Amino acid sequence: MPTRAKAGAVSERQHSKLGDAPLPETYHLNMGPQHPSMHGVLRLVLHLDGERILDVDPVIGYAHRAHEKMAEHRNYLMFLPNTSRVDYLSGMIYNLAYCQAVEKMLEIEVPERAEYIRVICSELNRISSHLLWFGTFLLDIGGITPFLYAFDDREQILEILDRVTGSRLTYCYGRFGGLTEDVDTTFLDQTRAFVKRLRERLPEYHALVTGNVIFRGRCEGVGVIDQHVALAYGVTGPCLRAAGIAFDVRRAEPYGIYDRFEFDIPTEQSGDALARYKVRVAEIEQSLRIIEQAVAQIPDGPIMPDKPKKRFKPAAGELYFAVESARGQFGIYIVSDGSEIPFRIKLRTPSFSNLAAMPAVLPQTTIADTIAIVGSIDVVIPEIDR
Amino acid sequence: MTATTRAKTNYLVTVLGGLFSLLAGMLITLRNLFRRPVTEQYPKSKPALSKNFRSAIALVRFEETQTHDCVACMQCVQICPSFCIAIEGDKPEGLKRKRATEFHVDYALCSVCGLCIDVCPTNTLKYSRVYDQVAYRRDAFVYDLLTEFRDAEVAYLEKARQEAAAKEAAKQAAAAARANKDTAPAAANASKELEND
Ligand code: SF4
Ligand code: SF4
Repeated sequence: MPTRAKAGAVSERQHSKLGDAPLPETYHLNMGPQHPSMHGVLRLVLHLDGERILDVDPVIGYAHRAHEKMAEHRNYLMFLPNTSRVDYLSGMIYNLAYCQAVEKMLEIEVPERAEYIRVICSELNRISSHLLWFGTFLLDIGGITPFLYAFDDREQILEILDRVTGSRLTYCYGRFGGLTEDVDTTFLDQTRAFVKRLRERLPEYHALVTGNVIFRGRCEGVGVIDQHVALAYGVTGPCLRAAGIAFDVRRAEPYGIYDRFEFDIPTEQSGDALARYKVRVAEIEQSLRIIEQAVAQIPDGPIMPDKPKKRFKPAAGELYFAVESARGQFGIYIVSDGSEIPFRIKLRTPSFSNLAAMPAVLPQTTIADTIAIVGSIDVVIPEIDR
Repeated sequence: MTATTRAKTNYLVTVLGGLFSLLAGMLITLRNLFRRPVTEQYPKSKPALSKNFRSAIALVRFEETQTHDCVACMQCVQICPSFCIAIEGDKPEGLKRKRATEFHVDYALCSVCGLCIDVCPTNTLKYSRVYDQVAYRRDAFVYDLLTEFRDAEVAYLEKARQEAAAKEAAKQAAAAARANKDTAPAAANASKELEND
């Protein structure tokens, strides 16, 4: 049985950083950056004693595209397409988060209808991200069938979003003050139909995966991120909620119109891979609830303010704005020096912090568990590297 | 019950439970075997592009002029975050307004953000619907958007020049008329003649 890392192990490993003298008789294994079961281009340097992991060093930077640096060389509008490429699996949430941050800075009023559409699209995007995680995570630990089912459902979302936004992954749908395109009744009908469809499919997912003995064997008690580690490393999102802390930015610091919807924050107590799985699947259900309410309440009206701001110079100052992305708290920190071009845009991405907790979680587990653990925290490498 | 028999029963329960969970999964697989396949056999069957499908930008062909209306104001060039538009403009002979003479877009770079479409004062930009370009060289993706407008542009310019000339003549005639009322009829005739040309 893998044992969880003790709190002491955290400080102990600080002494065995990559580059220091290796521990005697340990075997070093590079998992990634090109490894079929590693997500994207993540590299984990595993220090092994046989199958047992003594220490791990995540090495990142293979997908670095300097998004934050780019922001310093273009005006606020021109940073828009970058945002959805930070985390291409929940690009809509990131894109709209940036819009909302700038809107807060400039005190732009967003029309009601646009707010509702934003919620619907963000939640759809969250579900598609969770479905993709569901599929690939099971693929990682050896289940191929659920992947195909999940992708079938995800395809429905991509088609619904493609019809309004014109893109399947890297949306550039938000504008400061609203959106580029209005939605029509077909969109709302499609969304309603999708909610119904996924509700019918979820029991199938549970029967196929949640109860499966092999799946449970691979996940139960594996990769425990307890509350102590989670808080120490700034873990957010489903990983934090799986450790029993009901923190969700949508509830803690409601942005947009999230305070108008009824939804629960699913939590689990055990903090293992299975708990993270359960939290995500429960979150899909909650997102469906939010979508259902938003579709029912959406008002008519404009989707952009009367006079959208094209050229502007925000007053000198700084601002932090956070949203709940599919992976956790995504924060945007903007520093303005009063010019058209941001002085600095810092993106606080959840996967970075979640991955940072790995050295506290992986020691004393085995290589086979590494795949399940890293898979279960749902990292998106370009989002870590920006 | 002794401890060993209890352990044995527990073991049996676990095994049977596990077996049941596997069978439940297989049942779902079996059910799905009889569902309609959802796989699209691209490229044998091509799905229709969505209503708002976005691909790299293209120029709009306006109904009345049969050509684009790029006035080479360079606003799109300035806003483009991918720096993929290159435009050159010039005032055509006899016209007051600038027209684009070169319009190159690097389709490999365009991030389909739509910022250029938003800023264009003459609404002459739109998303194209091409999605399957391939090439061995990167510069093959630099498209000259004006190619398809060459002929229409010549005709349009010719017409615009005539209109401008007619307008100019009419203006001169009116000015002349104001300057000298006696010669007014002649000037009016002259401008009419020009228009008939
Ligand atoms: S859509 Fe965006 S990236 Fe493409 S040409 Fe226009 S401004 Fe540039
Ligand atoms: S913004 Fe429109 S009119 Fe101006 S240069 Fe670009 S395409 Fe031409």
